[in-house]
Amino acid sequence: MDIQEELKVLDTLPGVTFVGHPAGAGPKYNTPLTPKENFRRFIKGEGYMWTPCSADFVTVMPQELADVVSRDFIFDKNVPENLIHAGGKDFFGIDWEYVPTAGGSMVRPGNPVLVEDVTEWKKTVKFPNFDEIDWEAIHERLKDVVEGDRVVVSWCFNGLFERLISFMEFENAALALIDEDEQDSVHELFSGLCDMYDQLFDKLHTYCNTDIIYFHDDWGSQRAPFFSRAVCEEMLVPYLKRVCESAHKRGMYIDFHSCGKIEALVPCMIEAGCDIWSGQPMNDRIMVLQNYGDKIKLNLAPPMRFAMPKNEEEAKELARKSQEDIDEFMGTYGPYMKSIVVSAMQAGNPKLYETVYTATREAFAS
Amino acid sequence: MSKVEEIAAAVENGKVKKVAGLVEEALAEGISATEILNVGMIGAMGVVGEKFKNNEIFVPEMLIAARAMKKGVEVLTPALKEAGSEPVGKLILGTVAGDLHDIGKNLVGMMIEGAGFNVIDLGVDVPADKFIECMKENPDCKIVALSALLTTTMPAIKNTIDAIVAAGLRDTVKIMIGGAPVTQAFADEVGADGYSEDAASAAELAKKLLAEVNG
Repeated sequence: MDIQEELKVLDTLPGVTFVGHPAGAGPKYNTPLTPKENFRRFIKGEGYMWTPCSADFVTVMPQELADVVSRDFIFDKNVPENLIHAGGKDFFGIDWEYVPTAGGSMVRPGNPVLVEDVTEWKKTVKFPNFDEIDWEAIHERLKDVVEGDRVVVSWCFNGLFERLISFMEFENAALALIDEDEQDSVHELFSGLCDMYDQLFDKLHTYCNTDIIYFHDDWGSQRAPFFSRAVCEEMLVPYLKRVCESAHKRGMYIDFHSCGKIEALVPCMIEAGCDIWSGQPMNDRIMVLQNYGDKIKLNLAPPMRFAMPKNEEEAKELARKSQEDIDEFMGTYGPYMKSIVVSAMQAGNPKLYETVYTATREAFAS
Repeated sequence: MSKVEEIAAAVENGKVKKVAGLVEEALAEGISATEILNVGMIGAMGVVGEKFKNNEIFVPEMLIAARAMKKGVEVLTPALKEAGSEPVGKLILGTVAGDLHDIGKNLVGMMIEGAGFNVIDLGVDVPADKFIECMKENPDCKIVALSALLTTTMPAIKNTIDAIVAAGLRDTVKIMIGGAPVTQAFADEVGADGYSEDAASAAELAKKLLAEVNG
């Protein structure tokens, strides 16, 4: 094993753009397995060689998807200026507003709601028809990015609870989860959403070569889950399970992005079949890794530093801080590298890749 | 179990459909509206708040309890007016300029209402001028509560407090602040009178600040 040789850069792989900036273009290393194959083995827990990391992944989210534009998360080529920070209508015609201070989009509170009464959701909710999108054109545009050896990640906005919130605002959505007069309708609505996700996943799998669905559904605030584990098990897990099955039956995986202090709900994610959880730092991640690391992976990374150095001195300082971040990250999570994938969002950080690759390649070989 | 205890249990457990009837029965039994409100409802919401703080219950259970209380108060209001009963105090609430987040702010509003306050909710993305205008229109309001969810909108809390100072109104109110990135240190730095980390604690803080105002 010659790690220096394996980390030799053979080529530069193509990328896309994200909010007007290059994203995803990165090195093709001389690894003994393709990143895609290593990732598949890693999730299965058999025969992997290193912890999947940053440059192993590439994110694509085509501009033709209304949800992607409205949430301002287009990872695509040839994105017109007027689609960046545009907000606009999602799959269901709900208007999202780009908020510069938040760096993202949200539904303005007080806007007319799509669903006044969840028991009558069928009167106003019309599911999108993904066949109306020119998927062949998407594939043609993105094929050099998605047909390579990297693991292709596609985000899925919005998840079940987030979608319910977008339909009827937070308080009504939260109440509907426990109100016995509304629960049957919520079940039915979630079931309809699962059919929609299944169709979307099929398109992403077929035309974007997607390996990971980054499924976005926030379950908590900074201090606690929004709902109890019992409510989660009754109202969300059966449908998240269907989401996972939709991915798994096509050979894809679910990275469940869920914000908030929700470590108590990790068993629900496992029960549903999520492969990876992308959570926030306020969770006790070490506890999760120790107790559940054999059942679910955590998507983690050192903090991202966005600063653009103006001169050589600043560049050196940034590099020093970035290395400190990486060292701290490895110091904390090094022992758990069999249960971690390192964020696709850090694809442009070669030092991180080299550090994780070297440490885990050596550790796993022995 | 007394009728008031039954009301308290119904509020606590979010029995929306039962509360109105129980309140009617209690009034018919001659129980005073003030006792029903203070013991049966505000007391019950205090228990709900405590359980929420301890993660024994979560947002939906808290919301449904607040909804149950609201149903009861609807029935109780005429009797309260007749008895000359007033809200414990008035509070102006809003998410500061540039911030559209309302979830935490709404939960805080609900719990403070549950503590017996009259809450004037100005909504989200509220400019400092609007807070000041509302304070001038409501000189009996003794507490202003400001919310921000984003680190990028936290400065708007300071701007709002500065504007209240500049308008010469700072001495007329206590100011409490909250939101995910807000801390006690930030509250101290911007000159707020209090900070709370969750909706239940916000209700307790509002009561404490009001007690300070009232001496």
